[in-house]
Amino acid sequence: MVAINEELVRKVVAEVLAEVLSERKASSTFSAPSATSSQVANMKLVEVGPAKKGTDPREVVIGISPGFGTVFHETIVGVPHSEVLRQVIAGIEEEGLKARVVKVYPLCDVGFIGKIAANLSGSGVGIGILSRGTAVIHHKDLPPLGNLELFPQAPLLDAEVFRSIGRNAAKYAKGEHPTPVPTRNDPMARPRYQGLAALLHNKEARYVDESKPPMEVKVEFLK
Amino acid sequence: MPVIAGVDIGNATTEVALAKVEEGKIEFLASSLYQTTGIKGTPQNVKGVLMALGLALEKIGMERKDFSEIDLICINEAAPVIGDVAMETITETIVTESTMIGHNPSTPGGVGIGVGKTWHIKDIDKVPPGEKVILVIPGDWDYEKAAEVINAAFDRGIEVEGAICQKDDGVLIVNRLKKVIPIVDEVASIEKVPLGMLCCVEVAPPGRVIEVLSNPYGVATVFNLSPEETKQVVPITRALIGNRSGVIIKTPAGEVKERRIPAGAIYIDGPRGRIVVNVEDGAEAIMKALADSQPVRDIFGQPGTNVGGMMERVRRTMSNLTGLPVSDVHIKDLLAVDVLVPQRIVGGIAGEFSNEHGVAIAVMVEAQKLPMQRLAEAIREETGVEVVVGGVEAEMAVRGALTTPGTKRPIAILDLGAGSTDASFMKENGDIELIHLAGAGNMVNTIIASELAIEDMELVESIKRYPLCKVESPFHIRHEDGKVSFLDTPLSPNLFGRLALMVTDDLFIPLDLDLPLERVREIRRRAKREVFVTNALRALEKVSPAGNVRLLEYVVLVGGSALDFEIPAMITDTLARFGVVAGKANIRGSEGPRNAVATGLVLAYAEKFLNVKGV
Repeated sequence: MVAINEELVRKVVAEVLAEVLSERKASSTFSAPSATSSQVANMKLVEVGPAKKGTDPREVVIGISPGFGTVFHETIVGVPHSEVLRQVIAGIEEEGLKARVVKVYPLCDVGFIGKIAANLSGSGVGIGILSRGTAVIHHKDLPPLGNLELFPQAPLLDAEVFRSIGRNAAKYAKGEHPTPVPTRNDPMARPRYQGLAALLHNKEARYVDESKPPMEVKVEFLK
Repeated sequence: MPVIAGVDIGNATTEVALAKVEEGKIEFLASSLYQTTGIKGTPQNVKGVLMALGLALEKIGMERKDFSEIDLICINEAAPVIGDVAMETITETIVTESTMIGHNPSTPGGVGIGVGKTWHIKDIDKVPPGEKVILVIPGDWDYEKAAEVINAAFDRGIEVEGAICQKDDGVLIVNRLKKVIPIVDEVASIEKVPLGMLCCVEVAPPGRVIEVLSNPYGVATVFNLSPEETKQVVPITRALIGNRSGVIIKTPAGEVKERRIPAGAIYIDGPRGRIVVNVEDGAEAIMKALADSQPVRDIFGQPGTNVGGMMERVRRTMSNLTGLPVSDVHIKDLLAVDVLVPQRIVGGIAGEFSNEHGVAIAVMVEAQKLPMQRLAEAIREETGVEVVVGGVEAEMAVRGALTTPGTKRPIAILDLGAGSTDASFMKENGDIELIHLAGAGNMVNTIIASELAIEDMELVESIKRYPLCKVESPFHIRHEDGKVSFLDTPLSPNLFGRLALMVTDDLFIPLDLDLPLERVREIRRRAKREVFVTNALRALEKVSPAGNVRLLEYVVLVGGSALDFEIPAMITDTLARFGVVAGKANIRGSEGPRNAVATGLVLAYAEKFLNVKGV
């Protein structure tokens, strides 16, 4: 175990260094490969100004991380970001509520992004999603590291789970008591994806802008 | 100045009263309780007795092991009664040829009623224009694509009247259509929906229930049925009553029927010989047969049924305990209660549940005497203190109960326990009438567990014991009476939006139930009423003079279930109608309904051998 970990750490460090050195270059090993570039084009995120606190009790705010849908275009296991957002929004809509998307710049921690989204939400319920897929359902009255439901293992989240996340968030906003989304668990997810997750986090962290407020985003799904 | 410990070993708890006798006066020092270890009357009880004694000693500032401080231990002649409970489901609903979908998705799409032939959405191009159709949409169809296809069909003049869909997509599809149609979604086994059949889909607005498909004449109008055919759809419409959405499909031979499951028979031996009653006839028939066979000599259950197995189990337990042959152990009483059990409908397409009928049955065996002497010997060995077995439990309980302020002889006591409900009546001259009846706290648990479909018995015990509330936000809860409490510190997120049990003001247990609070409360209260109020009346009728409850004056409730937050009030309320003063005991003015027998033991011994009177 120890040997593997050390080897992994070395590999990660080497890759991060290579990444940092080639920072100015346009493409990196971990941005979407050319095969997905068509998928890249099927969602457009337009920032329309600083996000305001909502007053509509029928809304759930989805907070996305700084690189979501712009720098990155799919999660750690290749679920396109357009599909992630489409499913979460669909889950909210099916319950009869409205979704509002906010891009959170000052940090890239899923708990805080969820909490910021919840604070902006008219219903008090928010969802936080990172580029690699990690997600949380949050409430404005809970501490940042608390949550209503947490989905920490990004490699196990597929389109269906994202739909359920949207659905449950909407149900919380309605004051219902949904059955928590069944948590999958894969003991191998950690060793297999730890290195990649660290790299993705490292890359996303570079797009954090502490001086920029959360921005209201208009989502356009293209055919 | 001897120190006496009265020890009462009950079915569920062992109670201790510790007292000092000084200058002809009894002074109670401490009382304690601990759960009974093993079945009462067996040497396994010693552990629980030692713990309870230790706890009492601790309360007066001694070490737990200081048994030498005690001069004498009195244990009771425990009531030789064991009870057990079993459940039988006696009906099932069967759907043939997939004639109906009667589940309640939380968010069906659209609103209204649609009638047409069922078509698979992939074949929509083959539908001739002008045809009325109900589309069947399997889970691999994305909602956007489905909506697109349906809109295109509208344009071609096909009258899409409604849809049945597998995923939770109803609202999403309707939101994208040019025309609102009713859509029933979350139909798990959608491949079972027969195609090319006449079908009706109905969705009611939120907060309303379907009105056409739950009305036989409504269905007759929709499907153009003859009077004979209308008769046959009654079970289908009944199954759909109360739903927000529903589907009925007209197939050549399909139907919905309720079947009685043969659950075996109960044989009751009484003065009029053996009466046979079928379990599937329900609780009322069983209780009537029992009433006709008083006094009951013995009760048997048909072998191979749940009830038969349970009866043999209690017989064998009692036989092992007393050393009597199984054939000499007799079941003397039985309590049957009707319950509703949520069961999956056989042949259902959407995993529908319906509330089927069931019967919960509690029985009780009684022996002449439990081998208490053996237990007394075991306690003496462990503690080194002299142990006496003294006093019949019922007599001791009355003695203890009389320490409640405001009581006097003649008095009746109701001992509401876990395994049995006991009543005793003490006349003015000290004579005692006594009865043990089947059915108590454990039966309430069984009923709650089956009606709420919960398997975790610890949780069921908590549902019985604590009031409900609904957590409406991290900072406020709504109690079951509708009142709101605000909290200073936020509640744990796993309580958010949920029903919860209020253990204390700041300790909550979340309930993972998809039921309104009122329903859970109703189930809990009904279970308590059916068991304890029924048994209170049955028991008091048997011990009261001339069998007339009105002739009683004072009734005192003791035992663990008398601690419940609503059972005593239910019994007080019912008995008030007979002009009887009934209420929870307050032993020695301080112990509540607990410790009656233990207190009685100390009093009886002191009176008899130390020549002292009263407290």
